[in-house]
Amino acid sequence: MSLSYIIESIISGLLLGGIYALLSVGFGLTWGTMKVLNISHAVFAVLGAFVSYWLFVKAGLDPLLSLPLLAALLFLVGAVLYRLVIRPVQKARDVIMASMVATFGVAIVVENLMSFIWRPDPRILKPPYAGSSIFIGEMAISQGPLIGFIMAITSIALLYLFLHHTYIGKGVQATWQNPTGAALVGINPGTVSLITFALSIASAGVAGVAMAMIYAFYPSVQSVWTMFVFLVTIVGGVGSVIGTGLAGLLIGFIIGLCAAFLPFVWVNVLLFALLLAILLFKPEGLFGT
Amino acid sequence: MLKPKHILFPLVMIMLFAFPVVRPPLFFLTLCFSVFMFVGLSESWNLLGGYTGYVSLGHIAFFSTGAYTTAVFMNRFGISPFITAILGGVFSAVLAALVGYPVLRLKGAYFTISSLLLAVVMQLIFMNWDFVGSSTGLWYKLLPVSIEVNRILFYEAMLIVATAITLVVRYVERSKFGAGLVAIREDEDVAKTMGINTPWLKMKAFILGAFLAGVVGGIYGYYMSYVHPEVTFSMNTSLLILLMSFFGGCRSWSGPLLGAVVLSLANQLIVTFIGAEISRILYGLLLVVVIIFMPDGVMQYAKGLFVREKR
Repeated sequence: MSLSYIIESIISGLLLGGIYALLSVGFGLTWGTMKVLNISHAVFAVLGAFVSYWLFVKAGLDPLLSLPLLAALLFLVGAVLYRLVIRPVQKARDVIMASMVATFGVAIVVENLMSFIWRPDPRILKPPYAGSSIFIGEMAISQGPLIGFIMAITSIALLYLFLHHTYIGKGVQATWQNPTGAALVGINPGTVSLITFALSIASAGVAGVAMAMIYAFYPSVQSVWTMFVFLVTIVGGVGSVIGTGLAGLLIGFIIGLCAAFLPFVWVNVLLFALLLAILLFKPEGLFGT
Repeated sequence: MLKPKHILFPLVMIMLFAFPVVRPPLFFLTLCFSVFMFVGLSESWNLLGGYTGYVSLGHIAFFSTGAYTTAVFMNRFGISPFITAILGGVFSAVLAALVGYPVLRLKGAYFTISSLLLAVVMQLIFMNWDFVGSSTGLWYKLLPVSIEVNRILFYEAMLIVATAITLVVRYVERSKFGAGLVAIREDEDVAKTMGINTPWLKMKAFILGAFLAGVVGGIYGYYMSYVHPEVTFSMNTSLLILLMSFFGGCRSWSGPLLGAVVLSLANQLIVTFIGAEISRILYGLLLVVVIIFMPDGVMQYAKGLFVREKR
């Protein structure tokens, strides 16, 4: 086993980690700020992958070009879901528990809707440029993960800029820090929650497109993707965009390093052990606030 | 004094036990079998999930452990499925004890997530573990009697198991143990302060629930004569267990019983006559509706409606 092989594996792990970070960032936001634990988060990533896939196959629309359209569409889906499910659930005694069980229902509904409409066969999103590789010396970096990674980092940066440097984003943050205070100065908590939740779903959709360029996807893959979402969120600490980003990269690094020596499935099992260890010894996350 | 329930309960039980005598078509036998199975699963889930409020999405892991234990021990060592079902329960209990010690220290969402991960990871392991047939699953060797007798035998076995589980859960609910579990749900810290050994109680409920689910799994696996990681670990079964308990109301033993009977009958009918995916979509929606509009279960909700109308 040569060194360049290991480095190659680590690089592709890091690229993967960036995508996992985007997949998880919205989940952490809604959990940390709205106390809504959205188990259906990853199912919307799969939905995003499917929509992008069909736009590509049926309409010939390149996945990168259809990305804004897709994000807008999933923002809308998120807004509708917020009004129909999340807002009523927020009135429950134990919001985290109730939202978790209710969105578990949502996840099953969306998963089965997808396999009902599109059949449960595995598919892969392969625009012509995703197949080839860039060579640096002996190392090959495939372009699919690279493009996915760039998409992910750009989206996370946009999300960060939105939250920290726009009027609405600051309103969103104010509400998380002090809901009563924010309401007193005239910020509507309902609108803020709606924007947060819809944004989170939109980010999941974009992440789904990135995931689809690397992995085969099918409706029931959502449970495995959910596992990665949990992993990244728990490692990064709940509710911090930067923490989630770093956690994604860290996990990617670990995946890359292990994948050089182990079959991929056992890497997943190892990650689970890591997650359990973090839950037990440092439940606030490694980069927690 | 002889109350109606003293006659009704034995009567229903006798009818259920005697049901195979009339030689019902396979469809009805399987229908009843799945009702018993879900009664067993949601009652055993309720021990921890309902009474303490520690919602587990990993109950399916124990159920599958039972199913796989029976498959492996029957195929490799030719041990009778009635013994392996108990053995499956024991293995599930051991697994629960190992996992439970760390996981039960977690509260609320963290516990639920860990339990879900347990199910997902076990599925991943079983899909790649050749000893248990990896992703092709395992066929069971059937007992040397005709298929019909086989099915009837396991119909009766599941009926006995489901009844036993319901009685056990009912007994627990009325015991000091059950009162301790409810105290954990109401306020775990206070319960601890009052001298209740909460970690041990949670552990007991978790292990007992896992044992019971393992036994159910062992018998289920044999009845289906086939285990497959995609099927036995299916997330949809987790959904059904949760839904049945919440629908019936998870504060009492009667809730999961009601939920399991009503919903698994409906589920089987929808799956057979309309389609599995439609039924799952409907059930997912129903779970959302139950959580939003009737968090205490349909019986409490109906009572509330009745009271409001009387005013």
